[in-house]
Amino acid sequence: MKGRFWQACALALALHGGAHAAEAFVTDQDGDAVTVIDLATQKTVATIPVGGKPAGIAMARDGRRAYVTSPSAQMVSVIDAPARRVIGQFPAPGGPLGIAVHPSGAPLYVADWYSDQVSVIDPVTGHVLGRIAVGQSPSGLAVTPDGHLLVVADRLSNAISLVDTASLHEVARVDVGAHPFGLAIDGAGRRAYTANVESNTVSAVDLAERRLVGTVNVGKRPYVVALDGAHGFVTNELASTVTVFDLATLAKLATIKVGDYPEGMQASPDGRSVYVANWDSNTLTIIDSATLGVVGTLDAGSSPRAFGTFVRK
Amino acid sequence: MITMRRAIPAVLACLAATQALAHGPTRQKLELSVEVAAPPEKIWAVIGNFHDLAWVPAVAKVEGPGGNDPDSAKRTVTLKSGGTWHDEELSDYDAQKFTYGTFLPHVDVKVLPVADFSTHLAVTAEPGGKSKVEWRSAFYRGFPNNDPPPNLNEAAAVKAVTALCQPALDGLKARFGSGH
Repeated sequence: MKGRFWQACALALALHGGAHAAEAFVTDQDGDAVTVIDLATQKTVATIPVGGKPAGIAMARDGRRAYVTSPSAQMVSVIDAPARRVIGQFPAPGGPLGIAVHPSGAPLYVADWYSDQVSVIDPVTGHVLGRIAVGQSPSGLAVTPDGHLLVVADRLSNAISLVDTASLHEVARVDVGAHPFGLAIDGAGRRAYTANVESNTVSAVDLAERRLVGTVNVGKRPYVVALDGAHGFVTNELASTVTVFDLATLAKLATIKVGDYPEGMQASPDGRSVYVANWDSNTLTIIDSATLGVVGTLDAGSSPRAFGTFVRK
Repeated sequence: MITMRRAIPAVLACLAATQALAHGPTRQKLELSVEVAAPPEKIWAVIGNFHDLAWVPAVAKVEGPGGNDPDSAKRTVTLKSGGTWHDEELSDYDAQKFTYGTFLPHVDVKVLPVADFSTHLAVTAEPGGKSKVEWRSAFYRGFPNNDPPPNLNEAAAVKAVTALCQPALDGLKARFGSGH
């Protein structure tokens, strides 16, 4: 019901708010800012100071707000995305890195790397509405498109936690590879994919059956997974590559050389491009998801991370 | 604003068990480079072997299997100060491009106050038969939790890695001359 309402809203926005092209909001760790890159002109159009070594980001589905974690300052910044400015900052306990926003726009979910909890936060007031106990060192977060399920990568537990967003309780835990960090959920909300830093694999988990359904061997130190509908992409930090695999067969299709220490990655809204933030090279690589080749490399601040959803429609 | 930051002792005690596996909040980046008056081939002949750190003044000894094969190479490094680290991996190796990368998953913070320490070493040609030798490092501070003591904070980590790498680069410059 709620999901359908928001789908209608999103459609209305898509029809009436299409004046701007897609943008990347890249968290710029050593610049203490968020770099906004217009993906049509491929130019940096704004630099938004946030402070605290920003790392994680969650873009609201309607593109009006972006929420940024600053692990070194233990805070979340609220960005008015069209206005390109910070409109609020509030504390987030412990070690905030992973962040997600419910498809309806609220609440926010912020993982605390140190306390094995995910905080549930009101994005307007900054009030902590609840804390969800999960596995050890919660890292990447994602919410299913229908908003019913929050999925948490529990890095030191080698598992993902499935959390019911209504009750805020963990309803299942599924073992994956060693040290899952980034994760992505497909458009149908059917599967979650985790990048497993220590085992150099990606795990595919069926969310309804709550079980591991496949494993893909990827490059060294995989960090983040992105999906374009047909392919899975994973950034391999120590190999400076992106591994591409088929979502249906889980067969490996290509290894693409990108910048050094690739981290955050997300597909464009139309699925035709994939954007990779290269932490060490200070660049954003653009991959054509049809040819699986690199079609552009843009400057992207100082130590870009973009851990989360950073593409604004 | 930051009232939640102070971890209570019980939490610290629990975390101690997993300390070796966790790390601090923000990865540090250190980029050091030097211009050397020799072509890349000559410099690579000195620095391009994963198991030979004779050119790094702080290092006493390197041992390990696998040669320069990223799939199998590992090294144990013993410092002149007496400290040792084990199982440092070769993450990539390209003799044509004069570059290799390393990754050290675990190190005693008394030896080097860092965590998840990786490096890239690269030599590139410069005009006039010279080269630029670049040694880029990425690492977390030695203390994995909030509120690090001064000897295990980010500044201490940067200082320690600089003390390891900079004299080695300076040594290359001295060895081949600055070209002036």
